[in-house]
Amino acid sequence: MTPVSGGYAVDVPTINVSDRARRENATVWSTFRAFGVTLRRFYTSLFKGDIPTINYPEESRPYSERFRGTHILTVRDDGSLKCVACYMCATICPAECIYIEAGEHPNPEIEKFPTRFDIDMMRCIYCGFCVDACPEEAIIMSREHHQSVYERSETLWGIEKLMARPGIDAKGPGYRPNRPMAEARIFNKPEQPVCPFPSHLEERHPAVLYESMIRRRG
Amino acid sequence: MPKITINGQVYEAAKGKTIIQVADDVGIEIPRYCYHPDIGIEGSCRMCLVEVKGTPKLLPACATPVTDNMEVRTDTERVHEAVRYAMEFLLLHHPIDCSVCDQSGECWLQDYYMAHAGHDSRYPLGQKTRRRKAFNLGPLVKLDQERCILCTRCVRFTRNVTNTNEIQVFSRGHNSEIGIFEDRPLNNPYSGNVVDVCPVGALTSTDFRFKARVWFLKGTDSVCGGCSTGCNLRIDHSARAAGGGIPGYTATDGKIYRTVGRRNVEVNKSWLCDEGRLSFHTLERYPRLWHARAQGEQKPVNDLLPDIHANFESIRAEYGDGAVAALGSGMNTNEALFLMKKYFKGHVDFRLGKEVELYQQPQDDLLRRLDKHPNTHGALDLGLAGGLGGLRRLRDLAEKKEIRAMWISFHPQLVGEDAQEIIEDLRRLIQALDYSVVSTTHDFAWAHDAGHLLPMAAWAEEKGTYTNYAGRVQITNRAVMPPGDAQPLHVLMAELLNRAGLEVSTDPGVVFQWIAREIPGYTGLDYDTIGSSGGAVSPVPEEVLR
Repeated sequence: MTPVSGGYAVDVPTINVSDRARRENATVWSTFRAFGVTLRRFYTSLFKGDIPTINYPEESRPYSERFRGTHILTVRDDGSLKCVACYMCATICPAECIYIEAGEHPNPEIEKFPTRFDIDMMRCIYCGFCVDACPEEAIIMSREHHQSVYERSETLWGIEKLMARPGIDAKGPGYRPNRPMAEARIFNKPEQPVCPFPSHLEERHPAVLYESMIRRRG
Repeated sequence: MPKITINGQVYEAAKGKTIIQVADDVGIEIPRYCYHPDIGIEGSCRMCLVEVKGTPKLLPACATPVTDNMEVRTDTERVHEAVRYAMEFLLLHHPIDCSVCDQSGECWLQDYYMAHAGHDSRYPLGQKTRRRKAFNLGPLVKLDQERCILCTRCVRFTRNVTNTNEIQVFSRGHNSEIGIFEDRPLNNPYSGNVVDVCPVGALTSTDFRFKARVWFLKGTDSVCGGCSTGCNLRIDHSARAAGGGIPGYTATDGKIYRTVGRRNVEVNKSWLCDEGRLSFHTLERYPRLWHARAQGEQKPVNDLLPDIHANFESIRAEYGDGAVAALGSGMNTNEALFLMKKYFKGHVDFRLGKEVELYQQPQDDLLRRLDKHPNTHGALDLGLAGGLGGLRRLRDLAEKKEIRAMWISFHPQLVGEDAQEIIEDLRRLIQALDYSVVSTTHDFAWAHDAGHLLPMAAWAEEKGTYTNYAGRVQITNRAVMPPGDAQPLHVLMAELLNRAGLEVSTDPGVVFQWIAREIPGYTGLDYDTIGSSGGAVSPVPEEVLR
């Protein structure tokens, strides 16, 4: 149990492999012990149903609530995009994978909306900065991460694909730190009382205190 | 000369100036919204309050003339507090819609809030007064009354600068708002300037609105190519130099997003006319010429230049120097025209229409001039108004076969359409010539008959100098890269001169040194002395005044 020379911060247990090999490998008994392990696992898997593996593409393990998968563009109650094309996500994006074109919204209260919102999924590094930066909680992340396509051009996701796809309802949303802010209705219009996705995050996000969060001068 | 002390430093100030003007001259920053050097003093925003010794109250620096031995302080706690309170009142009913506001990123409210205020609003967002949002004030301007801080810069612009008095303050007190009587359109020819002067997002340009966020843009100081006035402007274009990143923001797209007036008291104050402001759209009006063509076949420019030189040389050898000529235009830079004159041995003209008669005549009493070519004066200085007598006469000479070969450089007017008879003359000229080279910016159908068709860089794609109507030499800069194989005309000319045996640099600064050595009015000028505000004035050529 001596620290390895090289300076680990904690004690690292070391195994003297050659010593153990001499003890175990050289005997016939260790061979039968190995068979024993296999048979025991065979027995528990077959008769007790304790199988550690899953049928992966059909089944999957639950992901974290904060999983940063592919993006979702959230919508208002009337089905229109929440996004106001403020370009915060495109500005913060370190991979420069977000491309937005803005248009004049017919409602002067909303004023601006994206006529084009493309994310190059092959360029994206899934850092979640766009979600952090969004002042409207218009972009959040999902728990999907599958990107198998036949053509490279299919990885350029437009508004339709980002807004609605089957995986969102099946797996639920992922990383969305600004949800408490959105639910505190600082920026929300009254016609949108609740968020379509429930979340188990209960602690108040600092962004709820948006206005008092700004440093007081003097 | 009164002596004035600002923050303990003594400065000499001209009599009649106000405190804020003196502070601007010496580089002391006083926050302001309503003060603008070119539109008169109002004193309504109360941001520029300063402490003056001997006065019990703070005084507005924009409206207080300096007196001798005045002691001003801009850095005391009292001043900071006054600015903070002024900001709190200005932001009381501000809708905080920065995320959709086109001004954010260059908004004075944002800047001064971060620098001087930083307070929490005492007014809940839901209870703020609602006003009209995003309605058209005119063809070029949109107004959002919620964001307006009533600095009345736009009101004073229409009152003092254009004298049209459209925009006014309506109602009184808390109900005050900016507007136009009966919602008549703001359609004077200088309406775009109210967007420039507006310090907040109340007035936004319908042309630039939502096209790009300002922090993605890069500004390049340049000169307007719309008419012979030569107004100073800043070209805001895509910021990333080459390749990579977001498709719309790469300079391979070479996109200019807007132009903004740049202050030059000698030429245009801070203003631009609407035609000049939108003149960059001319570059997108027709399809651009991307590649050189020889008899309809696409070829690299560098392969064609030896052929072009050989063709001109053989015609010169056969018919004499006078059989080869060139036609530039007032859209070309001094450098290009000068090198053209060198290569074609003085047989160069630039007159397409009536530039020379018109270039000093004002179209109105503010900025615009009738000649829509920025460099007519420069071409006259270079001595290009010689015996060739302009496009019409060149066409006659070509039809009489006195001129056999020509280089024709054509850049469309940035403001307005080129006259139809000019295009017709050019078409006939090309057909009459034995051999013609046309260097042009756009893919014009009439140029397809030319022997060689070369793509040329347009305004904002080349660096050079224009000489405005008053003889002021100003630098026009390269903001975006020309499309495809296009090159500036002075580069094409330098390459030809190099083939003719001269060592000529393609750097416009070096070419300009040559101009300064040879052209009388330009002596002693170079790019450093011209700078961003224009160089010394050269006299108007005598043959024009006569």
